[in-house]
Amino acid sequence: MAKGKLAIIGVGEVPTGRYPDRAPWDIIYEVCKQAVTDAGLDKNDIEGVISVNPMAQPQLASEIGFGKIPEELGLKGCNDVCICNAGGASTTNCLRLAEQWIESGVAKTVLIPHVTVQSIIPPDKLIAFFATAGMDLQWEYPFGTTYNGIVAMMTQRYMYETGTTAEEMASVVVALRKWAALDPNSMFYKKPVTLEDVLSSRMVSTPLHSRECNVLADGGAAMVVTSWDLAKEITSTAAYKLGQGARYLSASPMLRDDFFTREAWRQTAQMALDEAGIARNDIDIFEFYAAYPFCQCVMLEAVGVCEPGKAGKFIMEGHTSPGGSVPCATIGDATGRGHTGSGVSIANYVETARQLTGKAGERQIPDCQYVLATSAGGAYMNAVTTIWGREAQ
Amino acid sequence: MKEYKKPLPEIQPWSRAFWEGTRKHKLLVQECNDCGVKIFYPRKHCPQCWSSNLGWSEASGKGRVFSHTTTMTGVEDKFADDLPYVLAIVDLEEGVRMMTNIVDCDPAEVGIGMDVEVVFEEVTPEITLPKWKPVKK
Repeated sequence: MAKGKLAIIGVGEVPTGRYPDRAPWDIIYEVCKQAVTDAGLDKNDIEGVISVNPMAQPQLASEIGFGKIPEELGLKGCNDVCICNAGGASTTNCLRLAEQWIESGVAKTVLIPHVTVQSIIPPDKLIAFFATAGMDLQWEYPFGTTYNGIVAMMTQRYMYETGTTAEEMASVVVALRKWAALDPNSMFYKKPVTLEDVLSSRMVSTPLHSRECNVLADGGAAMVVTSWDLAKEITSTAAYKLGQGARYLSASPMLRDDFFTREAWRQTAQMALDEAGIARNDIDIFEFYAAYPFCQCVMLEAVGVCEPGKAGKFIMEGHTSPGGSVPCATIGDATGRGHTGSGVSIANYVETARQLTGKAGERQIPDCQYVLATSAGGAYMNAVTTIWGREAQ
Repeated sequence: MKEYKKPLPEIQPWSRAFWEGTRKHKLLVQECNDCGVKIFYPRKHCPQCWSSNLGWSEASGKGRVFSHTTTMTGVEDKFADDLPYVLAIVDLEEGVRMMTNIVDCDPAEVGIGMDVEVVFEEVTPEITLPKWKPVKK
């Protein structure tokens, strides 16, 4: 199949945090208006709306799934509406479906919104949601699985096989929080942490300390996407999708030969680079959405920056941090952003677009030409890699 | 028996034999009579060849810890009384892998590669969960 030739031409975002008093629809209005304005379009230019499914909010998901956004916002030119749910990989699917709508003539420009407000959900309900979301109710849940528990077992095995130390693993959090500290849209803006802060935080699920787990947050973002051709007409600054690769692994980590998912990331990164016609060394930023620290290590190893098992040391040496030679996850991944359900992935693409259009503020990587971005859903059920550039090619 | 508040497995028609087995303190592993592959978790059709000619054989009940974690906090209330508890992935001698708990030991004793054996925890009159404990040297 030919390249989708998609471009991100506008973005909008609210900072992550806790907004129990702020209705989800208030956030939807704000991020959508920002993104359409940023794209230099009129609201009636939007011909399609494909939303990221909000997790743990069934009523909101239902309202959005059944077409309320174009109606609420008065998008008079809208031809169709849809919601995508693939967990943390939802946004990637919104982008791919948008490509198809654009290519097949359903819509010339598509709005992709996301909102999550978890602070209004009682803590026990949130814990129950994440204890069962994507878990197998027969073979996992009766044994007391949690996302932290599942990833703790992956991390435990990774550390056992590679000899990665607790300090090296904790340093991944330090690096991610350095990026987040430069991000006004992060709940951890200006709040870096030290190695000591991470290692002295409460043990949640061995070997994961609480600062190695995610803080649930509210947030929202939106993007406007269009074809390469229209993007070139409309704006001089856009992020052009140049390549992609996707592999499904399994719903449950217990059924995976590729337990760390490293091989799947290696393959999809190569597929995406090949399609883009560039090499790994051309990449200016690795926007890894890894969700937990060990997977930042796995992804660095998968793309060939580090030998398998050496990423923890590499990250601890500061190479992926602000000012380092291999900038990774410049919004700090879920660790540095706060976990907005399915929203970390859209935040990652929004950041990708900002970096490529020179709008990333203090986090801006000079002369950024190419970004590699990753996304996965559930307990790493899949590995999806995309490559973005500031020029169509 | 005290009322059991934790979630019970949601049994499917094709996994019923597995749970009838654990109730009789037998650990059964599904296998494909056509392609010979061992299957866990049990399916309606063989995930390898899609045959529906599937059978069961009793496992030795011996295995090895592939990975584990001691859960300290962040669980639903119904699991809170068990904290800290060990969640683990165990490799069975038969070559399949299951998620489970390691019990009857200090969580700090559990390590990757540890030899474990199955124990049957009768949680309700109908349901017995297969858990694992360290093999006494």
